[in-house]
Amino acid sequence: MISIRHLRKEYEEATPLLDVNAEIEKGEVISVIGPSGTGKSTLLRCINALESPTSGQILIDGEDITDKNCKKHLLRRKMGMVFQSFNLFAHLNVIENVMKAPVDLLGKSRQEAYDRGMELLRTVGLADKATAFPDELSGGQKQRVAIARTLATDPEIVLFDEPTSALDPTMVGEVLAVIKSLAKEGLTMMIVTHEMKFARDVSTRVFYMDEGEIYEDGTPEQVFDHPVREKTRQFIRRLKVFEESITSHGFDFLAVNTRLEEFGRRHLVPQKTVRCAETVFEELCVQTLLPLSDGEPDIRMTLEYSEENESADMRISYGGRSFASLGEADPLSAALIGNSATEIAFRETGSAEYPHEITLKLK
Amino acid sequence: MEIKKIENGNELKLAVAGRLDTTSAPELEAEIASMPDVTDSLVLDFSELEYISSAGLRVLLAAQKKMNVKGKMTLTGVNEDVMDVFEITGFSDILTIE
Repeated sequence: MISIRHLRKEYEEATPLLDVNAEIEKGEVISVIGPSGTGKSTLLRCINALESPTSGQILIDGEDITDKNCKKHLLRRKMGMVFQSFNLFAHLNVIENVMKAPVDLLGKSRQEAYDRGMELLRTVGLADKATAFPDELSGGQKQRVAIARTLATDPEIVLFDEPTSALDPTMVGEVLAVIKSLAKEGLTMMIVTHEMKFARDVSTRVFYMDEGEIYEDGTPEQVFDHPVREKTRQFIRRLKVFEESITSHGFDFLAVNTRLEEFGRRHLVPQKTVRCAETVFEELCVQTLLPLSDGEPDIRMTLEYSEENESADMRISYGGRSFASLGEADPLSAALIGNSATEIAFRETGSAEYPHEITLKLK
Repeated sequence: MEIKKIENGNELKLAVAGRLDTTSAPELEAEIASMPDVTDSLVLDFSELEYISSAGLRVLLAAQKKMNVKGKMTLTGVNEDVMDVFEITGFSDILTIE
């Protein structure tokens, strides 16, 4: 139904879409997730022809909407889009907002548009607000009207661009419930969302966008429970990552500690965990591994803090001589490392850059 | 780290604030090494000490050995985190902590 081929979108300052490729079938409900600024909304706006791609093709039922000769207005009729900011006409009441496009663009009679409009308002639970004006509605109600208005043109595809981002948290549920009920009706939908539970429950397929492409594409179970790629894993598990490398014997130890504490404050990492990370960094990296480096050291420390589980894992990768057990460390350092971690594992990676690796689960 | 020094007759009191780690431990070590010959009581006030690593522990061990010969060494105001470190490493058995 929608075929996206090598889609690229460049702006002067940024290139949100580098090379996006996807085949979307009729009836699929696709959640588009990923960090801010990774082109999720730009992708939707390109599909709806609100933005012109720099290169690449978007075919809707075989017709290329990036072709200059394409009748965009006809293709747009197949699509509806729900925006973050509702975009209702303030001078029209609810039912007039819903009737406007069917009457003005599709040439339906007012009666026909009214009947269908009321049916849609019942679907979104707002039939009793038909004569109210947008200013009299809550944010959640406005968005539900916007959804009814989008459906009034009987689109085959509905694109939702962060439909709950502008809402008070208490109103998110009512809007998501409406979208969920539409998904059950077999409408083809693409939803850019930050609501992970919703994305998992409602979608048949999930696109994780990063690095200007659809970085990972799979069923909700695949993407949420068994993400294959590193950045997807970090995003799904809400991992906050801190990385430091020691590349000289005289590296700035104080600055690393300051950055580590700042990282802890910024991501609300428990103070005890920060202390454990500091201890392991000092006792293992600085006191134990650094003296083992004969030439220029190359020790890389990665700390991953999971906001979801409130747990912290540290990975230390290094070259040079191997250090294979805590028993080889100074007894004081070994005692402090042992007291900071619940698990510690040593392994050889087989990589030429960092042949040795130590992983620790911090307390 | 910051060290405040108070000399009172044969007693030397060092109030250590901040972190006693790889970078700062040599500073305390130097302070203890320059202790007057007459000092027979070394008091380390740790009420402002937030963190201690093995590098700091080694300085304390050397100081304890030195004071075993000269007189006595006492630690005061040790907070919970630092006390934890003393307990894990067995230092709580060899140091005099008040």
